[in-house]
Amino acid sequence: MTTVDSERLSAWRLPFSTRTRRNNGQQAPTWTSVSGRRVPSPWSVLRTAALIGMVLVAITPLIWIALGSFKNLTQLLGSPLSLPTSLNLSNYKGGFEQFDFLTYLRNSTVVTISATALTLVLSATAGYGLAKYNFRGRDGLFVVVLATIMIPIQVILVPIFQVVVDLHLVDSLWGLIIPPAATPTGVFLMRQYFLSIPDELIEAARVDGAGEFRTFWRIVLPNARPALAVLAIISIGWRWNDFIWPLIVAQTPNVYTLPLALGLLSSEQAVPYNFILAMVVASMIPVVFMFLFLQRHIIKGIAMTGLK
Amino acid sequence: MVAVGLFALWPMVNGFRESFYKEIAGQPAQFDGLSNYRQIVTDAAFWGAVRNTFEFVIGFVVLTLILATLAAVLLNAQKFAKGFFRAAIYVPVLIAPIVVGILWNWVLNPTSGVLDAILHKLGLGQPLWLVQPHLAMIAAVFVEIWATLGFYSLILLGGLQSIDPNLYDAAQVDGASAWSQFVYITLPSLRPMMLLVVILSMITGFQAFEFLYTLTGGGPLGGTTLIVQYIYDHAFVPPNLNFGLALAGSVLLFLVLMALTLVSFVAGRRRGAA
Repeated sequence: MTTVDSERLSAWRLPFSTRTRRNNGQQAPTWTSVSGRRVPSPWSVLRTAALIGMVLVAITPLIWIALGSFKNLTQLLGSPLSLPTSLNLSNYKGGFEQFDFLTYLRNSTVVTISATALTLVLSATAGYGLAKYNFRGRDGLFVVVLATIMIPIQVILVPIFQVVVDLHLVDSLWGLIIPPAATPTGVFLMRQYFLSIPDELIEAARVDGAGEFRTFWRIVLPNARPALAVLAIISIGWRWNDFIWPLIVAQTPNVYTLPLALGLLSSEQAVPYNFILAMVVASMIPVVFMFLFLQRHIIKGIAMTGLK
Repeated sequence: MVAVGLFALWPMVNGFRESFYKEIAGQPAQFDGLSNYRQIVTDAAFWGAVRNTFEFVIGFVVLTLILATLAAVLLNAQKFAKGFFRAAIYVPVLIAPIVVGILWNWVLNPTSGVLDAILHKLGLGQPLWLVQPHLAMIAAVFVEIWATLGFYSLILLGGLQSIDPNLYDAAQVDGASAWSQFVYITLPSLRPMMLLVVILSMITGFQAFEFLYTLTGGGPLGGTTLIVQYIYDHAFVPPNLNFGLALAGSVLLFLVLMALTLVSFVAGRRRGAA
């Protein structure tokens, strides 16, 4: 690509370099390339400008809401364009005190962690079974798994809800944890990864006298660590941001998760907007931090699975 | 062996109970069901939701494909601070859909919204984004693109990076312009990934619900009520309760999604053969 770029763009460079020369007559150009070796071409300046534009559209609203969360209600309603005058934390205090923010936060955390742990266990065991054992109906089961991936939860909301009612899990954290944790996507991901682990490795463990569980636990799982990491990251993102499932299952505020509480509060006219903004900002922080730390894994995960 | 087979099988059966239950639960809807279907096809609100859904999905998919390709090409060519750009464009994807709705409701709000304040300052009037049905639909499409573009761009970026650079070198030797390189090398090589983006964004579009719940609540005047909202309203919101209608709507949505998936499989297979 590098060679192509410079070759292709040589035609562009002429008017550009005259301009630099003119600039150089008086002063150094206002920008320099990072390497200091090559002056950026107009194409690359244009390209960077376009990217900066996209990034601005992407993150300005987020920065703006973070700033807005420090403004009081009069400032928010009266002068939407103004910047906050001080680092005023009263919205956060008010939001945390008047609404059970900490309860919602705790519920979200409990649900996210337990559902992710459960997803890892279920997906790893089921995926292993599908990948490495021969039993009657295995391929049929796998087709069922594939088919269920295509079905979005919204389509089967009503039927799953009926199951949850039958199991008496409505309005409990277990109802929030168990059904979403059994995700066919996770099973599919783990199965595909286990297929790439050679049978010889498992055979060798068996020959050495390891039991089935020991083989799985000590040999197979450590080899599947990258897939488990990707699945864990995906699952945390799903569960933390989940709304529609908690909306249906959680019916009293003491089992609300953060997104659910925010969604319901924001649709009530009576709730002061400044408090909602503060809670919204607070709820975004954990995910953004996770992203900053695990960015490499997340981007690899997308490449690997085509999932967010 | 049998023990671990069971150990592996049990969660699987347990996990896919959902799918079996779906069929069991689907049956009563079909048994007393044709009346449900008769009722749903004569419901004006249903057809309104269907029309809205198609408007939304078409706008969303087409614009996503164009913008994500543009973003991916730009990101691929970028060398300076590429990690930063990649991460920054991806950030909105992390935000919970429900929060996306709250956020943009705040930005587009006619009384305290930032965007209207800016437009007003510039003397461009106040478009009342979320008050007029058509503008609200445009706003909905824009917001969904905002929230998902980073994801689709990264998929396409992965596709771009797997194109063999020798192709470009060869084209260079043959004297192809940058544009014809893009049209004759980049686009055809990117086709599989573009197809994936179209399918994924189509499915996302048909499922859209959460961000609309806080952005417009399906309003104004049902102008942004999509099919999932229709199902949800009839299944769980007291004044409209009608489980039969909700189930019939679910089955129809399922059929549409299944058809789309089949089409994509066929398209994928034809591509594989070519």
